[in-house]
Amino acid sequence: MRATVGLILLAVIGVGVGISLLAIPFGAPKTEIGDYYIENAREDTGATNVVTSVVVGYRAFDTLGEVTVLFVAALGLGAVLATAGGKRGRSGVEPASLILSAGNIFLFPLILLFGAYIFTHGHLTPGGGFQGGAVIASAFLLVYLSSPGKRINESGATLTESVSGLVFVAIGLLGLTYGTHYFLANFLPKGTLNTLFSAGIIPVIYCAIGLKVGSELAGVVDNLMEETE
Amino acid sequence: MTEKVGRTAPRARDIIHLLLVLFITWLMLTSSLHWQEVTMGAFLSLVLALFLARSYGRLGLPPLSLIRVWRLGVYFLVLFAEIVKANIDVAYRVLHPRLPINPGIVVITTELSQDVAKVLLANSITLTPGTFTLDIQGDKLLIHWINVKSEDTAEATRLIAGRFEKHLKAVFA
Repeated sequence: MRATVGLILLAVIGVGVGISLLAIPFGAPKTEIGDYYIENAREDTGATNVVTSVVVGYRAFDTLGEVTVLFVAALGLGAVLATAGGKRGRSGVEPASLILSAGNIFLFPLILLFGAYIFTHGHLTPGGGFQGGAVIASAFLLVYLSSPGKRINESGATLTESVSGLVFVAIGLLGLTYGTHYFLANFLPKGTLNTLFSAGIIPVIYCAIGLKVGSELAGVVDNLMEETE
Repeated sequence: MTEKVGRTAPRARDIIHLLLVLFITWLMLTSSLHWQEVTMGAFLSLVLALFLARSYGRLGLPPLSLIRVWRLGVYFLVLFAEIVKANIDVAYRVLHPRLPINPGIVVITTELSQDVAKVLLANSITLTPGTFTLDIQGDKLLIHWINVKSEDTAEATRLIAGRFEKHLKAVFA
């Protein structure tokens, strides 16, 4: 009985979904904006990576909002996890084995370089500031795992985070003074397509985002590690 | 590894060593010799090298030379061949109806003195299917082995580490 009811319900849902899907022509784009980006993004922004030209070009203001959301989230986490006694070193934690500690010293610079590679090439290859920042934060996570007593240089992280946030906003404000006069307008030369120094303000913004996200996530990891006591 | 880092200036040798390692890595990542890529790579490598050379120097890596890079390349080829062989061996054990395994933990010793060399050996053993490095204590490595052929330290060392140690010694000599 239950099986029959189930089958009937399944058939009803199936027919319903089928009818509504039949109304949509298969493979036809539903909006025109995507075509516009694919056709014009390279001339408009100078970025080879169309996704980046949307994220940091056409919709850069939206990205500024996203960066702010991440900042508020990190701030909130810090407020929730902050201990009353202030920050203490994690004593009494066993040191990591040689494999982790020696491996960390060797890999740490290479991971940072890889993170920087990802965010400096955001306009050319897949990736960008957020991804590069996450890679950089993972390098700091490795440091915490290999030497549990170590703490992040908090003033350094805050400084990096604030300065890169300010750079993003300052670039946006400079756009107001130039040419078309809108927030985050491109005021730098677009350069030759598919070279590193091209796409105007996009790589500069992505470098700022990379450093900002990296220092923010490293701070988040630092806050979480503190609770292991 | 000591926790407190002395506030001494990093040695020039360590800076140049790290700078070269980073810059070569950058060239491999970008696979481009365009002047803009090279400039950016040199800048980033220099900044990172200046900041991180002090802790990097504690690794005590041997000086970079072409012959060492060549020997490292040879080592990676040997490692690759061993990984292929071990894969076939483990696949045979998994697919065999009677599952001929004899898992256990053995201790092996290494003659390598540098920490990085020991870590490289430990990671090579882990990368090879069937053997897994659990920990390093001084010159002893603790290995989990899918098919323990010998519990004797010298014999286990010969069977597990012998394949790699000769080439690693050449790299770090």
